[in-house]
Amino acid sequence: MLRKAQLAFAFFTAAIFSTAPLYSQSPSLIAAAKKDGKVVVYGSLESDVADAAFKGVKNKIGIDVDYWRASATKVMDRALSEFRAGKPVVDIVLTNDNPMQIMFKEGLFAKYDSPSAKDFPKEAIDPNLGPRYRNVIIGVVYNKDIIKAADAPKSLEDLVKPLYRGKLVIPDPTQHTTTTQWVASLDKLMGKEKAAKFIRDLAAQKPILVESLLPAAERVATGETPIAITYVKYVYIYGQRGAPLDYVRLGKFMGDGHYLDLSAKAPHPNAGKAFIDYFLSADNMKTLAKAGEFVNRKGIYPPIPDADKIQFVEMYDLDSKAFAEKKKEYQQIFLH
Amino acid sequence: MSADERALTVAPSTTTAWNRTRLGAFLSQPLSWVFISVIGIVGFLSLYPTFFLFYGSLTDAPLGVPGHFTLGNYIRAYSDPEAYPLLLNSFIFGLGASGLSLVFALTLAWITIRTNAPFRRIFELTAIVPNILPPILVSISWVMLLNPSNGLINGLFVKLLGMEKGPFNIYSMPGLIFVESLILTPLAFLIVAAALKSMDPSLEESAKTLGSNEFGVMRRVTFPLIRPAILAAGTLNFVRAVESFDTPAIIALPARIEVFTTKIWREALGSFPTNHNLAATYGVGILVIALIFVYLYRHFTSQVENFSTVTGKGFRPHQIDLGRWRFAASGLALLLLVLLVLLPLLVLLLVAVLPYYHVPTWRTWHNLTLDHFRYVWTTPRVHRAFANSLFLALAGASVCMILASLASYITVRTKIVGRSLIDGLVFIPWAFPGTAMALGLLWAYVDFPIPIYGTIWIILIAYVTRFLPYGLRAVSSTIIQVHKELEEASVVCGAGFLATFRRVLIPMMRPGVMAGWIILVTILLREFSATLFLYSPGAEPLGPLLYFLYLDGMRGRVAAIGLVISVISIILIAFAQRYSRWETN
Repeated sequence: MLRKAQLAFAFFTAAIFSTAPLYSQSPSLIAAAKKDGKVVVYGSLESDVADAAFKGVKNKIGIDVDYWRASATKVMDRALSEFRAGKPVVDIVLTNDNPMQIMFKEGLFAKYDSPSAKDFPKEAIDPNLGPRYRNVIIGVVYNKDIIKAADAPKSLEDLVKPLYRGKLVIPDPTQHTTTTQWVASLDKLMGKEKAAKFIRDLAAQKPILVESLLPAAERVATGETPIAITYVKYVYIYGQRGAPLDYVRLGKFMGDGHYLDLSAKAPHPNAGKAFIDYFLSADNMKTLAKAGEFVNRKGIYPPIPDADKIQFVEMYDLDSKAFAEKKKEYQQIFLH
Repeated sequence: MSADERALTVAPSTTTAWNRTRLGAFLSQPLSWVFISVIGIVGFLSLYPTFFLFYGSLTDAPLGVPGHFTLGNYIRAYSDPEAYPLLLNSFIFGLGASGLSLVFALTLAWITIRTNAPFRRIFELTAIVPNILPPILVSISWVMLLNPSNGLINGLFVKLLGMEKGPFNIYSMPGLIFVESLILTPLAFLIVAAALKSMDPSLEESAKTLGSNEFGVMRRVTFPLIRPAILAAGTLNFVRAVESFDTPAIIALPARIEVFTTKIWREALGSFPTNHNLAATYGVGILVIALIFVYLYRHFTSQVENFSTVTGKGFRPHQIDLGRWRFAASGLALLLLVLLVLLPLLVLLLVAVLPYYHVPTWRTWHNLTLDHFRYVWTTPRVHRAFANSLFLALAGASVCMILASLASYITVRTKIVGRSLIDGLVFIPWAFPGTAMALGLLWAYVDFPIPIYGTIWIILIAYVTRFLPYGLRAVSSTIIQVHKELEEASVVCGAGFLATFRRVLIPMMRPGVMAGWIILVTILLREFSATLFLYSPGAEPLGPLLYFLYLDGMRGRVAAIGLVISVISIILIAFAQRYSRWETN
């Protein structure tokens, strides 16, 4: 009898936990969010990843997501212009670290401590912006049909060997903001002197310059240029579609963080809060990781070989003056 | 008091009375009210967002934030010695691309409209197709075909002729000019073709009677007659090339060729955060260049009477019998269409059935997929975007053409003081780089007293503001050719301005109006630079959807949507051509 009662208790407990939401969410907030009806998000999260996440919002909270997708700079431009003009449309802004910090300083965000935030590691929580839910990691990606693994570079320094001259494509560091930031932060990986020499040697290799990180990855996928400095996640995204891509295991990889915050003038504040709670939940983090994203939750990794061994190093935050100076400096090094 | 003194004494009151009478007479004319309305609408549409950009170029804070007056932006933008070689590069690029597009367009228009070359009607219909394709896709297609590493055409040469290396390199100034000219050709074709269709053949027949051969007629009569249209197309395409960023970003950047727009991007629009003030300042520079070209255009077309060829007499455009050469002419037109339409469309089709964007190998053929078309077919977001864009394109093009017809009538046919202002006003917003103008529109309308921000109407206003010049050029080049005798006959018969405009001028201008309408529909269906900043989330048109998919590397989906847009546009074009009754005109 006691055994039966123990089994019944165990079954009952398991049933309760299996139906409980994987994220902390108060029912009253969900009810208020439903009253708001929808949530408006401005962000630079890629469409397919966003679709997968927003599907979860619809299923778990029952609200629609109106998403405006643009580059980080354009997201900031629009959100700030509307905010300054007193015509707020957006509830949630979701983009890279640097523009988020600028918007924070302009007073665009309301303080909201999501219960889901507690599950993130302490080092991934920014005092102004909250949890850094994902890292966008930049590395060396190559086409394994053209370059055999044994012949592939083994480190960043290898890229400047004569063997790889004319075989490398990088986003133009004088135009592409994230690449400017990446080049400027190289000293975090190799120290000041080595980094300065590496940058000059890299420019002397006359790499093919393209507009941004995506065209760089595309050129590797098409085989037009075999090696690129680009996002590591493209190995998975293009690999899923059949592209023969792999990445160099550098150990430490630099990248940028992504955050999401509630607008101080959000027209749908409760829907915005409920959105943040769900978005930061373990449930959604798994969805994002499955789509190839490096999320900041222990034990949740994208389906990329050796993803768990990647050590993330956050790039420097540069202000507008530093960006202008660096772009000018790289113009001299890379274009002359 | 002498007579002179008396005259001086009474002069002020007499002058005032005389002025009042003149004003009364002016206001009693329906045409005057049309002029006031047109200049009011055009002036508002163009000056309101432009004001914000000018203001931005003279302040030190982002627009929307109170700043201090400064000339620092102008000093920074134009004291940089590096800016001038880049301007020269842009000039060479613009001149080369617009010149080559005119050569392509004239050849194609002449063969399809004025000769008896076989299949000319099919050629005519397909010549407009590239205008439908997003320019970025055309550039990418040509990179796939002509890149020196593994371009398909280069590969073919290497394989067939045993060459060590392919003969073409897209990453060069000639490559850049070539691709941009292909993108610009349809616009020039539509304008020149409309003018060729509206031309009175009697002048050509007279020249022939006087002993001139076909070549002489073409050189001495036909081309001088369509000169306004050629200049209009050349002006539009030059400015369009100079302000284009997409093609230089894809082709010039790997070639390490810098043009002015890449500098604007690096220092202003692409800087972090966006330097609105500097972007506006560079925009003002491009505006000045554009206005110089508008002035030149007006100078060339000022002697309107010289170009009047649509008279009261009924006519059909004279068709030149090419004899045995007609097949060669068809061959030439076909070659141009292969470059303009077939090759980019084939690449687009290929990309639409590839699982990911790459140069095909034997392995590729086993992996072809219809997933991208399935996405178009099954995704509600795509369906909504098609519905939004169709509404915006049809409504936007129609409003533009109504305004353009009235504006071009006033500028070309009347002597109203201030009429040339309309031309300049229309051109202002168009001369700014797309993204700079989009920012101006955002700032102008985000704080607009009437609550249209965040609705579909604001996009419609933006379209009319930005694309009115296309309509205006298309109609102006036709209206210049319509002789005044038809209007005079209508007035003599007792018709007022509106009746004459509706019953005489509109039918005579129909080729130009329909050409402009087609250009606009095809552009508006895929427009994104202004739309991106203005559409409200949840009411997404096709342009932003294509842009986002492109941004996320989903070339296959972009290509599949691009192909569906092409089919829709071809149906619209066929309908418009039929309606315009070009053949019967």
